[in-house]
Amino acid sequence: MPIDRRLLLNVDWVLMGATLMLTAIGVAMIHSATFSGASSGLYVKQASVVGFAALGMLGVLSLDYRRLADRAMLFYLAAAALLVYVLFFGPRIAGTRRWFLILGLQVQPSELAKIAAALFVAKVFAEMRKDNLGLRDVLQPGLAVVSLMALIAAEPDLGTAFCLVPLFLSISLLAGLRLRAVGSLLLAGLVVFGLGWKYALHDYQKTRIYTFLDPSLDPRGAGYQKIQSQIAVGSGGLSGKGWKQGTQSQLGYLPARHTDFIFSVLAEETGFLGVLFVLALYLLVLWRALEAAQLARDRLGAFLVAGLSSVIAFQVVYNVAMVAGLVPVKGLPLPLLSYGGASLLSTWLSIGLVLNVRMRRFAN
Amino acid sequence: MRIYEDLRLVQTRLAVLQNALVVVIVLLAGVFWHLQVVRGRYFKTLAENNRSRVVPIAAPRGPLLDRRGRILVENRPSFNIVVRPEHVEDLDDLVRRLSALLRVGEAQIRERLAERASPFRPVVIRQDAPLEDVAALEARHLEFPDVSVDVVPLRSYPLAAAAAHSLGRVGEIQKPQLELDEFAAQKPGDLVGQAGVELQYNRALMGKDGSRRLVVNSRGREVLELVREPPSDGPSLTLTLDQELQVVAERAFGGRAGSAVALDPMSGEILAMTSIPAYDPNEFATGIEPALWQKLTGDPETPLMNRVIQGQYAPGSVFKIVVAAAALEEGVITPRTSFYCPGHLAIYDTVFRCGRPEGHGMVSLHQAIAQSCNVYFYQVGARLEIDRIARWAKRLGLGAPAGVDLPHEASGLVPSSDWKMRTQRVPWYAGETISVTIGQGQVTVTPLQLARLAALVANGGHLVTPHLVKAVGRAARPDAPLDEPRLRPETIAAIRDGMCAVVNEHGTGWRAQLQSVEVCGKTGSSQVVASRVRQPTAHAVLPHGWFVAFAPREHPRIALAVLVEHGGSGGVAAAPVAREILAHFFQEQAAPKPKAPAVAD
Repeated sequence: MPIDRRLLLNVDWVLMGATLMLTAIGVAMIHSATFSGASSGLYVKQASVVGFAALGMLGVLSLDYRRLADRAMLFYLAAAALLVYVLFFGPRIAGTRRWFLILGLQVQPSELAKIAAALFVAKVFAEMRKDNLGLRDVLQPGLAVVSLMALIAAEPDLGTAFCLVPLFLSISLLAGLRLRAVGSLLLAGLVVFGLGWKYALHDYQKTRIYTFLDPSLDPRGAGYQKIQSQIAVGSGGLSGKGWKQGTQSQLGYLPARHTDFIFSVLAEETGFLGVLFVLALYLLVLWRALEAAQLARDRLGAFLVAGLSSVIAFQVVYNVAMVAGLVPVKGLPLPLLSYGGASLLSTWLSIGLVLNVRMRRFAN
Repeated sequence: MRIYEDLRLVQTRLAVLQNALVVVIVLLAGVFWHLQVVRGRYFKTLAENNRSRVVPIAAPRGPLLDRRGRILVENRPSFNIVVRPEHVEDLDDLVRRLSALLRVGEAQIRERLAERASPFRPVVIRQDAPLEDVAALEARHLEFPDVSVDVVPLRSYPLAAAAAHSLGRVGEIQKPQLELDEFAAQKPGDLVGQAGVELQYNRALMGKDGSRRLVVNSRGREVLELVREPPSDGPSLTLTLDQELQVVAERAFGGRAGSAVALDPMSGEILAMTSIPAYDPNEFATGIEPALWQKLTGDPETPLMNRVIQGQYAPGSVFKIVVAAAALEEGVITPRTSFYCPGHLAIYDTVFRCGRPEGHGMVSLHQAIAQSCNVYFYQVGARLEIDRIARWAKRLGLGAPAGVDLPHEASGLVPSSDWKMRTQRVPWYAGETISVTIGQGQVTVTPLQLARLAALVANGGHLVTPHLVKAVGRAARPDAPLDEPRLRPETIAAIRDGMCAVVNEHGTGWRAQLQSVEVCGKTGSSQVVASRVRQPTAHAVLPHGWFVAFAPREHPRIALAVLVEHGGSGGVAAAPVAREILAHFFQEQAAPKPKAPAVAD
């Protein structure tokens, strides 16, 4: 599909560059975290996913986001169908069903569902032509999002499921949901959480929350991850121990060091300066994304970009806070840095949509 | 047609979100500043503790050698099978597989695991494992990532029980010991000396532990060695013991309870030290089984006691040497003084008997010692009285520890009128003196004290300090200078004459006679009070037999004391034991046994 040459001039190269740089840093840190182990080739795998991601992004760019949003219902239903499919037919890995194989490729429906949900919610709110929304107005899209969340949570993958909350809240806030209504939603969320705590949470999840509150309860168990991550981060100091030189990660004290705790490796090996640099890159990416929302020519574009950005923002903030020991350990990857093709692909597709909205701000 | 939507509200709220994002990211950066820069040093220490571990390298305990450099105690490598349970995911499964591999009961392994003090301390599940188990385990290294084999030096006593009491034993340090200055550098679980030379010279023998600073991974496995501080080995201890003489002395008892100690009369070096029954110190090297410990401590024959320095017995007629010396020194008698022995002496309203009911007739000092005539010494004792006897007994080394380099030496007892008043608040009865002159009554001695007495007679009156250690490492222990002689040469000569006659002139000790060497000795019988014996069998009420001796008569090279518990008279029970020791010492292998003379004991 040919892209209008004028559109290319409007691509946000700053956002694109920052995204590429974060991805490259991710590959480098994955290499450092895994080169001594049995899976030393993982960084090559991650780098090759970037190729796919770039193709996917190009595909997303070539289509007008408005045409995509016209098919939002279709995407939503497809995502839901895939989520149902994986629940029944996905291989059971460590007690979870999160992905399945198609033509040798891992497909993780929950990652695609985030994008589908963003398109769907943005479309629904964009079509509400009023500026003052109450709880009743958000009921229908809310239920649609909660259904997706329930399917993802059933895999179980609570972290990814929870990502849809900031997505929905940010879009409904921009769409004019009254602040009082936001408050009631949060309250309702608390009630749901309370009931969930009592009836739905697995014991290992409860243990994680308990030990988050008091890590000394179980220094070798769930609290272990938090303690070891803090030691890794703190011992990095100002300038770090050097690439591939982190004792915490290289000697295996850090759990999940190339996936959820990749930021610990970064903090240990590159120190506070590296942390500052990467946080600045994330801020740049998100700032430029929200700027794209500001510049969007219509509500649909603004909502879509804001929804996608808030998912990325939530994941970045939660993951980094988790690495610092501020919030309970959740299996939530750090966008662009953590190892994992599905997460990388969905983040690149999201950023593709952001670029899409920005470069078509003048188009008709 | 272009429709312009009203985006003002959207843009206002977006600006809020944008600013909120900046605030959150800045806050996060602040948290990392705090963690990495403000508390960086703290976390660096934690990371360092995580990755590096100080592992002690045990300094091998010094070996013990006999006076000619033969090994008495050494270290042999042993293999301990150790589990580090902190990372084990399925402990039950591990126990099951280990039990099958090592052919040890699951319950036993579980018991060991349950005893561990902390979940992070490695647990020894099998001490001194046989080589085939070690090989089997090493071959399955990958199946048992949390099980390892530690090489530990183990104390080995080739003589087994033969020198148990002088060499001593090692064992895990006990709680009360941990509080002593002597063991300040030790920690629970360390092996330290628990008796004998092993205890007395523990600090010297232990050397100084070294250490290794290692980098370990999260499973505790060694990745890299950072620093190695080598241990300084414990120095070898050269003892005064003669390994062969020690074995001969032990065998000479033929399993009877008793003790023997042989000294170099000039230096006080202990050539052999035997106490029977004994125990095998090898049993203690890996930690003694509780049942065996119960048996050893509960045994009425007290195998853990070193009878040479802790057994306190009435000296019997051996004490006559002391009385004779006192009388000669005090001028109460001369070597030519004679008394008439009718077989008993009636004095202080009591009739005191002689060993020979029909009497010895007129006896000189020489004959009185040779025949062990009680009446002669009753007469002498009545003239000396108790306090002069006590003074001389103490001058000759009785009533106080001999100062041997072993722990817990007993002092024996030399009674006196002062002592009786002090302890019993009644005056001394003159009649008691008569019993004391023949070594009965309250007076008690240790075999070592009597060996020292024999050495004193042998060396011309010097009181030597018996000791077991000749050299620590290469530093030889200097010989202590001889002190002033305690007796005049004439006194010594008279006593030597008598002691020579004991063995060689139809005296009570004829069974100790050697062909090539003139042995001088003195017999004694220590009466056993029947009511104190647990099971009054005929054997149990037999007296303890004493024999002290030195040889040769001129320039003596060995002095010894032998006690056979419930052996009967000293001449019958103890003199043959002494003879075997002396025969070996003077290399009289095939010496014919002396013929019985006409005179009985």
